[in-house]
Amino acid sequence: MSLVTSIPKNQAIPRTNGDRVAVFKSAEKRSDQWSQLLISVGENRDRQAFAQLFRHFGPLLKGFAHASRNEGWFPGLGDDLVQEVMIKVWNKAAGYNAEKASATTWIYTVARNCRIDMLRRKSNTQHLPLENEDFWHEPDEETPISLLQQKRSEDKVQSSLAQLPKEQDEILRKVYLEGKSHAEASAELGLPLGTVKSRVRLALQKMQVIVSTESQE
Amino acid sequence: MNNTSQFHPDETMLLEFSAGTLATAPSICVSAHLHFCSKCRNQLLRLDQVGAQLMSEAKPLELEEDAFDAVMANLDNTEQAPAKSDAKVSRFPFSVDKLMKNNLVSQTWKRLSGSVDVARFETGQDEFEVALHKICAGGKTPKHDHQGLEYTVVLKGSFSDENAVYREGDFLIREPGDVHQPMGAQNGECICLSALSAPIKLTNPLGFLMKPWLRINPM
Repeated sequence: MSLVTSIPKNQAIPRTNGDRVAVFKSAEKRSDQWSQLLISVGENRDRQAFAQLFRHFGPLLKGFAHASRNEGWFPGLGDDLVQEVMIKVWNKAAGYNAEKASATTWIYTVARNCRIDMLRRKSNTQHLPLENEDFWHEPDEETPISLLQQKRSEDKVQSSLAQLPKEQDEILRKVYLEGKSHAEASAELGLPLGTVKSRVRLALQKMQVIVSTESQE
Repeated sequence: MNNTSQFHPDETMLLEFSAGTLATAPSICVSAHLHFCSKCRNQLLRLDQVGAQLMSEAKPLELEEDAFDAVMANLDNTEQAPAKSDAKVSRFPFSVDKLMKNNLVSQTWKRLSGSVDVARFETGQDEFEVALHKICAGGKTPKHDHQGLEYTVVLKGSFSDENAVYREGDFLIREPGDVHQPMGAQNGECICLSALSAPIKLTNPLGFLMKPWLRINPM
């Protein structure tokens, strides 16, 4: 890592011609405030940084919990989720890899897994041998997407989300925030499943989350 | 770990996986595929970015007054050296490894036919039957039909059917009405993870002799 820190910031980043991009990782850093704070919690057990994260993400997490319309929902879910997620953030921060995802994306994945597991525990009497978190153990690897590319795709998602037509925005919110499957969204909105899928696909194309060359149903 | 998968879950499944709305059994299969496929891992990261953006735009709700103190008090109790990610390099996906340990798979392989062994997993849901299948080198399985959906992920080795050769990481969906006859590769055993939503219907006339869950005709 330290070998390349002396490279001037404005020097062109060398790239290979293949589809993998060779990047001097330490020449580019994730600079957003939340990611810096999360790194500091992981590296230094920094309580001040943790408190700042708590103040920012706590109310969002509570909002995320209350948006759920899933079986098992209970009034105290929001406060329970904030507790559980923030304690996980503290405990797992050392494993946060800023090269792989922003703090917001990382905390979202922790929150999503926690929310599912808490709802399942409430609504399910069967013993569950797997927690949702178990589905998210990815092998350690060289990050194939450079930070620059990630930043671009994050910016694109952020700017284009605000401009989505209402009917596309509505379905994305149902799926991600309310926790509805496509089939449930189709039943609730009184739309054919194919229409729900194509609206989602159009939204993802606009945000450039998926490429638009895929054949349509 | 590589990027050689040819058959992937579609974008709807990945999105439902990212949003956490995909049922447990197909989620196990998607997570197994992701273990092998960096292309889908990248796609998933972008889908997670959408979820993260939506979460950060959701209406924030005021916390209980003591919420912060309660968490800080809990941190005091859990203060310890941060767990370094010591994820051992396993050839199997984490979720499958955990199921195998939980179900003591080494002791529960059952012979289905001359060339196929099966080990079923307890997964806490009964919509799908989740199992590993081991096909010996060159082993033929009987032609069978599907009454429900079946997801398959190749975990080790390869197998083929009338349409293609399926290698490690490949993710397949068989729908009701699909008939196929998988065959293990000649050069070694093949292990697949599968999730089946309803028992397979055997096209073999002796199929009725078999227990409903016994999916492959003993030969």
